[in-house]
Amino acid sequence: MTAGENPFGDLLQDYIVECLPLAEQVGDAFVELERSWQSGEPGDDLLTTVKGRLHTIKGNSAMMGIAPARDIAHALEDACGFLGRSPDACTADAAALLIAGGGLLVELVGGASPELDPASATAFVERVRAYLTAAPGAATAGSDRRQTERRGPRSDEGEAAGNTVRIDFRRLDAMLEVLGEGLIQHSSLVELYRRLLRKVGAGVELEELDQTVLSLQKTLTRLESTLMEARLLPVSTVLGRFPRLVRDVAHAEGKKVRLEVSGGETALDKAVLDRLGEPLLHLVSNAVAHGLEHPEERTRAGKPAEGHIRLRAASVSGRVIIRVSDDGRGLDEEAIRAKAESLGLDVRNVDIAQLHNLVFVSGLSTAERVTTLSGRGLGLDVAANVIHALGGTIEVESRKGQGTAFTLSLPVTLAIVRSLIVEVDRERYAVPLSHVAETVRAEPEAIRQINNQGVTQWRGDLIHVADAGAVLGTPESSRGLRPFYVVMTAGAKRRGLLVDRLIGHQDIVVKGLDPALGRPTVVSGTTILGDGRVACILDVVRILDGVAHVN
Amino acid sequence: MPESFLVIDDSKLLHQMYRLIFSQGDLAGSTVHYAANGREGYAVLAAHPELTLVLLDLNMPEMNGLEVLARRQAEHLHPHVPVALVTTEGSEEDEARGRAVGAWDYLRKPFQPSDIQALVRRARELRRSRGAA
Repeated sequence: MTAGENPFGDLLQDYIVECLPLAEQVGDAFVELERSWQSGEPGDDLLTTVKGRLHTIKGNSAMMGIAPARDIAHALEDACGFLGRSPDACTADAAALLIAGGGLLVELVGGASPELDPASATAFVERVRAYLTAAPGAATAGSDRRQTERRGPRSDEGEAAGNTVRIDFRRLDAMLEVLGEGLIQHSSLVELYRRLLRKVGAGVELEELDQTVLSLQKTLTRLESTLMEARLLPVSTVLGRFPRLVRDVAHAEGKKVRLEVSGGETALDKAVLDRLGEPLLHLVSNAVAHGLEHPEERTRAGKPAEGHIRLRAASVSGRVIIRVSDDGRGLDEEAIRAKAESLGLDVRNVDIAQLHNLVFVSGLSTAERVTTLSGRGLGLDVAANVIHALGGTIEVESRKGQGTAFTLSLPVTLAIVRSLIVEVDRERYAVPLSHVAETVRAEPEAIRQINNQGVTQWRGDLIHVADAGAVLGTPESSRGLRPFYVVMTAGAKRRGLLVDRLIGHQDIVVKGLDPALGRPTVVSGTTILGDGRVACILDVVRILDGVAHVN
Repeated sequence: MPESFLVIDDSKLLHQMYRLIFSQGDLAGSTVHYAANGREGYAVLAAHPELTLVLLDLNMPEMNGLEVLARRQAEHLHPHVPVALVTTEGSEEDEARGRAVGAWDYLRKPFQPSDIQALVRRARELRRSRGAA
């Protein structure tokens, strides 16, 4: 290969789409192989299938110039070849080596780029090489075969450069801030145009100005989507570490577990991904430690001794859905009920689904025993708070004896949020449009007061309507009915929020809140509007939860 | 009449790479047939005796490259069409077996566009020398 760029560099995304599922299957197969060996089965079929996939990954990685992925695939292929010929070598150590390599392969393929550190595979390749020379039976079984050491010096290792540059993520954030300023200036231009139109009336120049402002908007939108794409990473960068985690937790807990991971190629903003690891880790280790029963208990219940955990990611209409499900014992409804009552909650009239979702309430984690792994870090309430802070939702479904599933819905990005700008007591607020179902003019006769709460008919249902001033705790919230309400939704929950004015839609660049200020319950961040004013972004999920708690 | 080629490979990524290569230089404008496995590829080969060159991947589910070659040899299907077996490092033994069942040449991954161009040039020479004979 010539030095310089790879002729197929533009196909990087296609490479990931094709090879990441293969790498994930390889990783899963290694975990399965370990279980086969433990139960005394050779797992030859598995080895053959895995070797085929590794061979494909090796070839495709070589074509793309992704040397570390090629080297890991090659080393694993050699190791599988050797293990297929040497049943005596199929030990727990060998399985651990394969599983470690499988995890690494998923990470390298999922995070593939031409400038991946060429040395990121070296340590593992060395480990395999050392293993193959020292393993039981290696001297005889290995001597007549090509092994890893036959590979000569590499000439193509230095060709990484290509069309891609490595960039500090903070610089992408800085670019985004600049874009945010551009968006603000665009809004100012639009306002100025409107004022001019009112003052001097229509004219050719104003029409041209209108066109220019319009094309500026299109340019900014294109810039925005390009910048957003640059921030996206495949979910596998987080999911890749779970096969090993599950194996370790299962081992510590004396459980038998099969983990199935899919959808690793789903793309998410790095800022979302970075904060998703902890809550997901908690959900998955929780599923192993508390969701699944011990093998004997499962057998008694007529289930396979081995528990099954699924981790699935998918893009659904602009959001990323991640589902963690197990086929374990299901949530303990009586324990939740008892715990909720002990916390003073009235749970007499809640339905099963509402009862299950109480596990996210602080202090309501039902696991009686604190285990080393799932007891570490955060509880379900904290996990849910992280998801909410990301603008996401988390819900749980459970069936006694059949299992539990947590469904997370996340925004693809946190950086720019299309929002409805409203005015309440002369202050402006942004409501993320993903949570806005409709804006409605509030007719006094259509809103009734029941138990001190406004209630109205909306699309055939009765929904609560709350005064924004009361929700936000603004000082002058004692006036009468405000003229509009915004129907906000999150999951199955929805409420109306009465506001003074609807200002319009706008893309806002989200600035986080200073953590030192503590976390106000109804605001998730701030932004700067077109006229330079600072506006708070409403935390719809929390407002809906908060109103629900009043019930 | 434009030249035509056949690519038999189960990888969509490889199809796209070939698409890129066959859209450049003097290969632009040629007809390229794509098959996703050996079985499908064999059927396309049977229908197109005019092919200049077949690029056949070794590792495929559902009839691999060696099986395609073996069947072609047994059935004497268009023996004048040169078939290059596409292999990856570690397939040396299979390459030897490929030669035995009539592989005309090998293309080793990773390959460059220029490797395909060179292969096509040699296939054209082969065709010309046969036409002259």
